[in-house]
Amino acid sequence: MLALSFFWIVIGLLIGSLANAARLRPSSWGRHGRLVMLGVGALAALLGGWLGVLLLERNIATAVVLWMAALGITLPWMVTRASAWIAAGT
Amino acid sequence: MANETRKDMKQVPPVFVAGKTAKTRFRRTRMLGCATARILLVLLFCAGFYLSVFPAGRADLRTMLLLPTLLGASEPAALTAADEAVRHTQLIIPAPAGGVYLDVYEPTTPTPLVPGVRGGVVMVPGVGDNRAVPQLVNFATSLAHTGLVVITMTTPTLIDNSISAQDSEGVVQAFETLAHWPGVSASRIGLVGTSGGGPLVCFAAADPRIRDQVAYVALFGSYYNTTSLLRAFGQRAFVVDGHLQPWQPDPYPKQVLADTIAGTLPSLESTLLQNAFAPNGKPLTAADLARLSPPAVAAYHLLAGDEPGQVDANIAALSPQMHALFDQLSINRVVNKIQAPVYLLHDRSDPSIPFTESREFAAALARIHHPYELAEFGIFQHVLVRSNLGIGQLLSDGPHLFHVLSEIVYIGS
Repeated sequence: MLALSFFWIVIGLLIGSLANAARLRPSSWGRHGRLVMLGVGALAALLGGWLGVLLLERNIATAVVLWMAALGITLPWMVTRASAWIAAGT
Repeated sequence: MANETRKDMKQVPPVFVAGKTAKTRFRRTRMLGCATARILLVLLFCAGFYLSVFPAGRADLRTMLLLPTLLGASEPAALTAADEAVRHTQLIIPAPAGGVYLDVYEPTTPTPLVPGVRGGVVMVPGVGDNRAVPQLVNFATSLAHTGLVVITMTTPTLIDNSISAQDSEGVVQAFETLAHWPGVSASRIGLVGTSGGGPLVCFAAADPRIRDQVAYVALFGSYYNTTSLLRAFGQRAFVVDGHLQPWQPDPYPKQVLADTIAGTLPSLESTLLQNAFAPNGKPLTAADLARLSPPAVAAYHLLAGDEPGQVDANIAALSPQMHALFDQLSINRVVNKIQAPVYLLHDRSDPSIPFTESREFAAALARIHHPYELAEFGIFQHVLVRSNLGIGQLLSDGPHLFHVLSEIVYIGS
């Protein structure tokens, strides 16, 4: 399970890098934003993996990791966008 | 000085244009990279979501993990790390026709919290003691690795190289054992029968006690009608699309049929018939045949295939007990009572049971509008994967096998 957790973290880091390349990092995160994004990706992936094992099966957990990590790194961007939209509306 | 300035001014515009182009190119590349990354993220999200949340996706994922194991006859080491650890236990449950030997392969991880996720399979791996056959053990272990609880079962009759319709009781009991297994969803249990295990699985699937619960029936290299099977043995040929195709059966199915028929004969005759088709058995002499009754002689000629022109006459000469036995062992007697969808898999060059048996079963299911799927392959040797398969064969049969396997796994996902 330890090896699998490391594997999920690697997937999370890769997805975090993709998020950096996709410029989904909120500007408010400042200078260390890139690293924070990698951390968010890894954390979301790990969470997704363990949730997948708990709710479904171990071999399905890696698929959960993919969408959980993708969702995890998109959430800050979506929150920033939503708050900007609400602020513009008011 | 003025000349130099004029020279500089002349040189500046081209340098400025080049810088702008480079910047634009850089911007474009960045935007393209950004768009590509966003598309990749969307694709990863969609793929992960489909493969984990939707049952069809989970089935596809499990099939993707199973297929290399099935085709390669062993599980690739790279896949094992992501798999469930598997526990193997052996049980014996009492049954009217003797004990039923069960080998249970189950994931060691706790049952998933999402209800109904863990399905099960009861497998009857044909006649003989196949419990230690590496490909069967490997397949059962791989199914358990993907999160299913697998029971492979056999009975004393099957181990004794014979088939008895009574053994379907053992299949029903194995099914009920699995239905009460901790964490297994009773509505997601399928029955899988290979070769001579196929009819037993069908008889169980038609049993009123479990027929409404069976999720699916999958037969691999099995037969439909005992009499038509015997006809193919007698003719050493079978009819495909209106043409007679020569066929040379393996010795083992002849031995199984001889042992099965022997149960209807007196002791001396049964011994003679069994010995003739036992490993290293010799053909019966004219003197031996003279000691047999006409039905036993007819059965011998059908199995020996030495009177291909007399097949109909030999079938007619079989005793009423033999005909009753063949009717009892034929799936056609229960085809109307099976509720679950039926999946039929057969190799086109099967040397044990002609693939036309599965076609016959499919035709019967089509006539009664019963859901079924028939898949014919060229990569198996009866029910085992051939060794040294070419890439062409794998590419032609692989997608077909994936499709059928995915549908079967879907019902259990």
